[in-house]
Amino acid sequence: MAFPGYGAAPGGVAAMQQDPLYGYFSAVAGQDGQISAEELQSCLTHSGISGTYKPFSMETCRLMVSMLDRDHSNSMGFPEFKELWQVLSGWKTTFMSYDGDRSGTVEGHELQHAFNAMGFNLSPQAMNIIMKRHSFGGRVGFDDFVGCCTKLRALTDQFRRRDQQQTGTALFQYDDFIQVTMSI
Amino acid sequence: MAYHSPYRGAPQNNATPDQSFLWNIFQRVDKDRSGVISDTELQQALSNAMFDRENKGGVNFSEFGGVWKYVTDWQNIFRNYDRDNSGFIDKNELKQALTGFGYRLSDQFYNTLIEKFDRQRKGQVAFDDFVQCCIVLQRLTDVFRRYDTDQDGWIQVSYEQYLSMVFNIV
Repeated sequence: MAFPGYGAAPGGVAAMQQDPLYGYFSAVAGQDGQISAEELQSCLTHSGISGTYKPFSMETCRLMVSMLDRDHSNSMGFPEFKELWQVLSGWKTTFMSYDGDRSGTVEGHELQHAFNAMGFNLSPQAMNIIMKRHSFGGRVGFDDFVGCCTKLRALTDQFRRRDQQQTGTALFQYDDFIQVTMSI
Repeated sequence: MAYHSPYRGAPQNNATPDQSFLWNIFQRVDKDRSGVISDTELQQALSNAMFDRENKGGVNFSEFGGVWKYVTDWQNIFRNYDRDNSGFIDKNELKQALTGFGYRLSDQFYNTLIEKFDRQRKGQVAFDDFVQCCIVLQRLTDVFRRYDTDQDGWIQVSYEQYLSMVFNIV
Protein backbone atom coordinates (compact mmCIF):
# COMPACT_ATOMS: atom_id res chain seq x y z
CA MET A 1 0.00 0.00 0.00
CA ALA A 2 1.43 3.33 -0.98
CA PHE A 3 1.77 6.07 1.62
CA PRO A 4 2.28 9.35 -0.20
CA GLY A 5 3.91 10.95 2.82
CA TYR A 6 6.92 8.67 2.84
CA GLY A 7 8.58 10.19 -0.19
CA ALA A 8 10.49 8.44 -2.89
CA ALA A 9 12.49 5.65 -1.35
CA PRO A 10 14.96 4.12 -3.78
CA GLY A 11 13.55 0.90 -5.19
CA GLY A 12 10.00 2.03 -4.56
CA VAL A 13 7.54 1.05 -1.89
CA ALA A 14 8.26 -2.68 -1.96
CA ALA A 15 11.94 -2.15 -1.24
CA MET A 16 11.07 0.28 1.53
CA GLN A 17 8.81 -2.21 3.23
CA GLN A 18 11.58 -4.78 3.27
CA ASP A 19 13.94 -2.31 4.85
CA PRO A 20 14.38 -3.28 8.50
CA LEU A 21 14.47 0.39 9.43
CA TYR A 22 11.02 0.78 8.00
CA GLY A 23 9.69 -1.54 10.66
CA TYR A 24 10.90 0.74 13.46
CA PHE A 25 9.69 3.84 11.68
CA SER A 26 6.21 2.65 10.75
CA ALA A 27 5.61 1.36 14.26
CA VAL A 28 5.43 4.97 15.46
CA ALA A 29 4.58 6.98 12.36
CA GLY A 30 1.06 8.26 11.83
CA GLN A 31 -0.99 8.33 8.64
CA ASP A 32 0.99 11.27 7.37
CA GLY A 33 4.20 9.24 7.36
CA GLN A 34 5.96 11.69 9.64
CA ILE A 35 7.31 11.31 13.14
CA SER A 36 7.65 13.87 15.91
CA ALA A 37 10.58 14.20 18.31
CA GLU A 38 8.75 12.05 20.89
CA GLU A 39 8.05 9.36 18.33
CA LEU A 40 11.66 9.49 17.21
CA GLN A 41 12.77 8.95 20.79
CA SER A 42 10.50 5.93 21.10
CA CYS A 43 11.63 4.62 17.74
CA LEU A 44 15.34 4.95 18.42
CA THR A 45 15.01 3.44 21.88
CA HIS A 46 13.25 0.39 20.46
CA SER A 47 15.71 0.02 17.66
CA GLY A 48 18.52 -0.39 20.15
CA ILE A 49 20.83 1.89 18.22
CA SER A 50 22.19 3.23 21.49
CA GLY A 51 23.35 -0.29 22.35
CA THR A 52 24.44 -0.35 25.95
CA TYR A 53 24.42 3.44 26.11
CA LYS A 54 21.51 5.30 27.64
CA PRO A 55 18.64 6.12 25.27
CA PHE A 56 18.55 9.58 23.73
CA SER A 57 17.00 12.42 25.69
CA MET A 58 14.04 14.40 24.36
CA GLU A 59 16.25 17.42 23.75
CA THR A 60 18.67 15.40 21.62
CA CYS A 61 15.76 13.93 19.65
CA ARG A 62 14.36 17.40 19.08
CA LEU A 63 17.78 18.48 17.79
CA MET A 64 17.91 15.50 15.44
CA VAL A 65 14.49 16.25 13.96
CA SER A 66 15.47 19.88 13.55
CA MET A 67 18.79 19.01 11.87
CA LEU A 68 17.03 17.26 8.98
CA ASP A 69 13.82 19.31 8.95
CA ARG A 70 14.12 20.82 5.49
CA ASP A 71 10.43 21.62 5.09
CA HIS A 72 10.06 23.26 8.51
CA SER A 73 7.38 20.82 9.55
CA ASN A 74 9.04 20.00 12.90
CA SER A 75 8.72 16.34 11.94
CA MET A 76 10.68 13.68 10.07
CA GLY A 77 9.79 11.42 7.14
CA PHE A 78 11.24 8.02 6.36
CA PRO A 79 14.00 9.17 3.98
CA GLU A 80 15.26 11.58 6.65
CA PHE A 81 15.02 8.82 9.24
CA LYS A 82 17.24 6.62 7.07
CA GLU A 83 19.70 9.47 6.68
CA LEU A 84 19.68 10.05 10.43
CA TRP A 85 20.29 6.37 11.07
CA GLN A 86 23.40 6.38 8.92
CA VAL A 87 24.71 9.54 10.53
CA LEU A 88 24.03 8.17 14.02
CA SER A 89 25.75 4.89 13.23
CA GLY A 90 28.83 6.79 12.12
CA TRP A 91 28.85 8.95 15.23
CA LYS A 92 28.36 5.93 17.46
CA THR A 93 31.34 4.21 15.84
CA THR A 94 33.45 7.30 16.43
CA PHE A 95 32.31 7.57 20.03
CA MET A 96 32.97 3.92 20.74
CA SER A 97 36.47 4.20 19.35
CA TYR A 98 37.21 6.65 22.17
CA ASP A 99 35.18 4.84 24.83
CA GLY A 100 37.63 1.97 25.24
CA ASP A 101 36.36 0.92 28.64
CA ARG A 102 32.72 1.13 27.56
CA SER A 103 31.96 3.49 30.40
CA GLY A 104 29.52 5.39 28.20
CA THR A 105 31.61 8.55 28.47
CA VAL A 106 34.69 9.96 26.79
CA GLU A 107 37.29 12.40 28.04
CA GLY A 108 36.90 16.02 27.03
CA HIS A 109 40.25 16.21 25.27
CA GLU A 110 39.38 13.14 23.23
CA LEU A 111 36.32 14.96 22.04
CA GLN A 112 38.47 17.38 20.10
CA HIS A 113 40.14 14.46 18.29
CA ALA A 114 36.73 12.99 17.57
CA PHE A 115 35.52 16.24 16.06
CA ASN A 116 38.64 16.62 13.96
CA ALA A 117 38.10 13.10 12.67
CA MET A 118 34.57 14.11 11.74
CA GLY A 119 35.78 17.13 9.84
CA PHE A 120 35.03 19.83 12.40
CA ASN A 121 38.17 21.85 13.02
CA LEU A 122 37.59 23.66 16.24
CA SER A 123 39.94 25.83 18.22
CA PRO A 124 40.62 25.11 21.91
CA GLN A 125 38.49 28.15 22.73
CA ALA A 126 35.51 26.81 20.80
CA MET A 127 36.05 23.42 22.44
CA ASN A 128 35.94 25.07 25.88
CA ILE A 129 32.63 26.62 25.09
CA ILE A 130 31.24 23.31 23.89
CA MET A 131 32.55 21.46 26.92
CA LYS A 132 30.87 23.93 29.27
CA ARG A 133 27.52 22.94 27.90
CA HIS A 134 27.94 19.25 27.26
CA SER A 135 30.33 17.79 29.78
CA PHE A 136 30.14 16.74 33.40
CA GLY A 137 33.37 16.46 35.30
CA GLY A 138 35.39 16.69 32.11
CA ARG A 139 33.60 13.77 30.50
CA VAL A 140 30.96 13.61 27.79
CA GLY A 141 28.23 10.95 27.59
CA PHE A 142 26.90 9.47 24.35
CA ASP A 143 23.63 11.43 24.40
CA ASP A 144 25.49 14.71 24.93
CA PHE A 145 28.01 13.74 22.24
CA VAL A 146 25.23 13.17 19.73
CA GLY A 147 23.47 16.39 20.79
CA CYS A 148 26.70 18.24 20.30
CA CYS A 149 27.44 16.71 16.87
CA THR A 150 23.90 17.52 15.77
CA LYS A 151 24.25 21.16 16.77
CA LEU A 152 27.67 21.41 15.14
CA ARG A 153 26.39 19.96 11.92
CA ALA A 154 23.33 22.20 11.89
CA LEU A 155 25.32 25.35 12.69
CA THR A 156 27.98 24.46 10.14
CA ASP A 157 25.32 23.98 7.44
CA GLN A 158 23.80 27.36 8.32
CA PHE A 159 27.18 29.03 8.18
CA ARG A 160 28.16 27.43 4.86
CA ARG A 161 24.93 28.56 3.25
CA ARG A 162 25.96 32.12 3.96
CA ASP A 163 29.55 31.63 2.84
CA GLN A 164 29.01 30.44 -0.70
CA GLN A 165 32.43 31.62 -1.82
CA GLN A 166 34.01 29.65 1.02
CA THR A 167 35.93 32.62 2.27
CA GLY A 168 35.61 31.47 5.86
CA THR A 169 33.36 34.38 6.84
CA ALA A 170 29.61 34.70 6.54
CA LEU A 171 27.21 37.61 6.53
CA PHE A 172 24.16 37.51 8.78
CA GLN A 173 21.31 39.99 8.90
CA TYR A 174 19.75 40.32 12.35
CA ASP A 175 16.26 38.88 11.75
CA ASP A 176 17.79 36.03 9.79
CA PHE A 177 20.39 35.42 12.50
CA ILE A 178 17.72 35.13 15.18
CA GLN A 179 15.56 32.72 13.19
CA VAL A 180 18.37 30.60 11.91
CA THR A 181 20.05 30.09 15.27
CA MET A 182 16.78 29.59 17.12
CA SER A 183 15.72 26.95 14.61
CA ILE A 184 18.36 24.56 15.81
CA MET B 1 17.44 51.59 13.44
CA ALA B 2 17.62 48.11 12.00
CA TYR B 3 16.43 46.41 15.13
CA HIS B 4 14.84 47.42 18.38
CA SER B 5 16.02 46.64 21.86
CA PRO B 6 13.63 43.77 22.32
CA TYR B 7 12.84 43.10 25.84
CA ARG B 8 15.10 45.71 27.30
CA GLY B 9 12.16 47.38 28.91
CA ALA B 10 10.21 45.05 31.09
CA PRO B 11 7.26 47.07 32.34
CA GLN B 12 8.56 48.65 35.52
CA ASN B 13 6.87 47.56 38.69
CA ASN B 14 6.97 50.78 40.71
CA ALA B 15 5.67 49.40 43.97
CA THR B 16 8.65 48.13 45.97
CA PRO B 17 7.58 45.45 48.43
CA ASP B 18 8.62 46.25 52.01
CA GLN B 19 11.53 44.51 53.67
CA SER B 20 9.61 42.30 56.08
CA PHE B 21 7.35 41.09 53.31
CA LEU B 22 10.35 40.21 51.17
CA TRP B 23 12.09 38.50 54.04
CA ASN B 24 9.10 36.26 54.65
CA ILE B 25 9.01 35.30 51.02
CA PHE B 26 12.72 34.74 50.91
CA GLN B 27 12.61 32.36 53.83
CA ARG B 28 9.72 30.49 52.36
CA VAL B 29 11.34 30.07 48.97
CA ASP B 30 14.64 29.24 50.49
CA LYS B 31 13.20 26.38 52.55
CA ASP B 32 10.57 24.58 50.64
CA ARG B 33 10.49 26.04 47.14
CA SER B 34 6.80 26.89 47.29
CA GLY B 35 4.82 27.49 44.13
CA VAL B 36 5.14 31.26 44.46
CA ILE B 37 8.29 31.24 42.34
CA SER B 38 8.86 28.11 40.28
CA ASP B 39 12.18 26.29 40.48
CA THR B 40 12.75 26.73 36.82
CA GLU B 41 12.27 30.49 36.85
CA LEU B 42 14.51 30.94 39.81
CA GLN B 43 17.14 28.64 38.39
CA GLN B 44 16.97 30.46 35.12
CA ALA B 45 17.56 33.81 36.77
CA LEU B 46 20.28 32.51 39.04
CA SER B 47 22.10 30.52 36.41
CA ASN B 48 22.32 33.61 34.27
CA ALA B 49 24.26 35.12 37.15
CA MET B 50 22.03 38.12 36.81
CA PHE B 51 21.61 38.60 40.49
CA ASP B 52 24.59 36.87 42.05
CA ARG B 53 26.90 39.87 42.06
CA GLU B 54 29.67 38.20 44.01
CA ASN B 55 29.70 34.94 42.06
CA LYS B 56 28.70 32.89 45.06
CA GLY B 57 26.48 30.53 43.14
CA GLY B 58 23.41 31.87 44.93
CA VAL B 59 21.73 35.05 46.08
CA ASN B 60 21.66 36.73 49.45
CA PHE B 61 18.71 38.65 50.79
CA SER B 62 19.53 42.01 49.28
CA GLU B 63 20.02 40.46 45.83
CA PHE B 64 16.81 38.52 46.33
CA GLY B 65 14.79 41.73 46.17
CA GLY B 66 16.03 42.07 42.61
CA VAL B 67 15.03 38.48 41.82
CA TRP B 68 11.56 39.04 43.20
CA LYS B 69 11.02 42.14 41.16
CA TYR B 70 12.35 40.45 38.04
CA VAL B 71 9.99 37.50 38.37
CA THR B 72 6.94 39.65 39.07
CA ASP B 73 7.78 41.80 36.05
CA TRP B 74 7.81 38.65 33.92
CA GLN B 75 4.56 37.48 35.44
CA ASN B 76 2.92 40.76 34.54
CA ILE B 77 4.11 40.48 30.97
CA PHE B 78 2.94 36.91 30.73
CA ARG B 79 -0.48 37.78 32.11
CA ASN B 80 -0.72 40.64 29.69
CA TYR B 81 -0.31 38.33 26.71
CA ASP B 82 -2.17 35.30 28.05
CA ARG B 83 -5.36 36.97 26.88
CA ASP B 84 -7.65 34.04 27.53
CA ASN B 85 -6.10 33.49 30.97
CA SER B 86 -5.39 29.86 30.25
CA GLY B 87 -2.03 29.91 32.00
CA PHE B 88 -0.46 29.14 28.64
CA ILE B 89 0.54 31.32 25.75
CA ASP B 90 -0.52 29.99 22.37
CA LYS B 91 1.08 30.72 19.03
CA ASN B 92 -0.92 33.88 18.37
CA GLU B 93 -0.38 35.28 21.83
CA LEU B 94 3.35 34.53 21.51
CA LYS B 95 3.39 36.31 18.19
CA GLN B 96 1.80 39.38 19.75
CA ALA B 97 4.21 39.33 22.66
CA LEU B 98 7.37 39.01 20.58
CA THR B 99 6.20 41.43 17.92
CA GLY B 100 5.42 43.81 20.76
CA PHE B 101 9.00 43.43 21.96
CA GLY B 102 10.25 44.40 18.52
CA TYR B 103 11.13 41.07 16.91
CA ARG B 104 10.29 40.50 13.24
CA LEU B 105 9.80 36.77 12.87
CA SER B 106 8.01 34.72 10.23
CA ASP B 107 4.76 32.95 10.98
CA GLN B 108 6.37 29.56 10.36
CA PHE B 109 9.10 30.38 12.82
CA TYR B 110 6.57 30.64 15.65
CA ASN B 111 5.78 26.96 15.12
CA THR B 112 9.45 26.23 15.58
CA LEU B 113 9.63 28.36 18.73
CA ILE B 114 6.74 26.54 20.31
CA GLU B 115 8.21 23.17 19.35
CA LYS B 116 11.50 24.20 20.89
CA PHE B 117 10.27 25.65 24.18
CA ASP B 118 7.02 23.83 24.90
CA ARG B 119 8.27 21.46 27.62
CA GLN B 120 4.85 20.14 28.54
CA ARG B 121 4.21 19.21 24.90
CA LYS B 122 0.86 20.97 24.80
CA GLY B 123 1.45 23.05 21.70
CA GLN B 124 1.55 26.16 23.90
CA VAL B 125 4.11 27.68 26.22
CA ALA B 126 3.80 27.78 29.98
CA PHE B 127 5.16 30.67 32.02
CA ASP B 128 8.63 29.27 32.54
CA ASP B 129 8.92 28.21 28.88
CA PHE B 130 7.93 31.72 27.86
CA VAL B 131 10.57 33.25 30.11
CA GLN B 132 13.24 30.92 28.75
CA CYS B 133 12.27 31.73 25.16
CA CYS B 134 12.49 35.46 25.78
CA ILE B 135 15.81 35.10 27.58
CA VAL B 136 17.33 33.11 24.72
CA LEU B 137 16.11 35.71 22.22
CA GLN B 138 17.58 38.45 24.38
CA ARG B 139 20.94 36.69 24.71
CA LEU B 140 21.16 36.17 20.95
CA THR B 141 20.32 39.82 20.42
CA ASP B 142 22.99 40.88 22.91
CA VAL B 143 25.66 38.78 21.26
CA PHE B 144 24.65 40.00 17.81
CA ARG B 145 24.87 43.61 18.96
CA ARG B 146 28.37 43.06 20.29
CA TYR B 147 29.54 42.09 16.81
CA ASP B 148 27.48 44.68 14.96
CA THR B 149 29.90 47.51 15.61
CA ASP B 150 28.40 49.85 13.03
CA GLN B 151 24.86 49.06 14.19
CA ASP B 152 23.48 48.47 10.74
CA GLY B 153 21.82 45.14 11.57
CA TRP B 154 24.46 43.07 9.74
CA ILE B 155 27.45 41.14 11.00
CA GLN B 156 30.29 39.39 9.26
CA VAL B 157 31.77 36.58 11.29
CA SER B 158 34.20 33.72 10.90
CA TYR B 159 33.11 30.12 11.49
CA GLU B 160 34.85 30.07 14.86
CA GLN B 161 33.22 33.32 15.94
CA TYR B 162 29.83 32.06 14.88
CA LEU B 163 30.15 28.87 16.89
CA SER B 164 31.42 30.72 19.96
CA MET B 165 28.57 33.22 19.71
CA VAL B 166 25.69 30.81 19.60
CA PHE B 167 26.71 27.37 20.77
CA ASN B 168 25.89 27.85 24.41
CA ILE B 169 22.81 29.93 23.88
CA VAL B 170 20.70 27.76 21.60
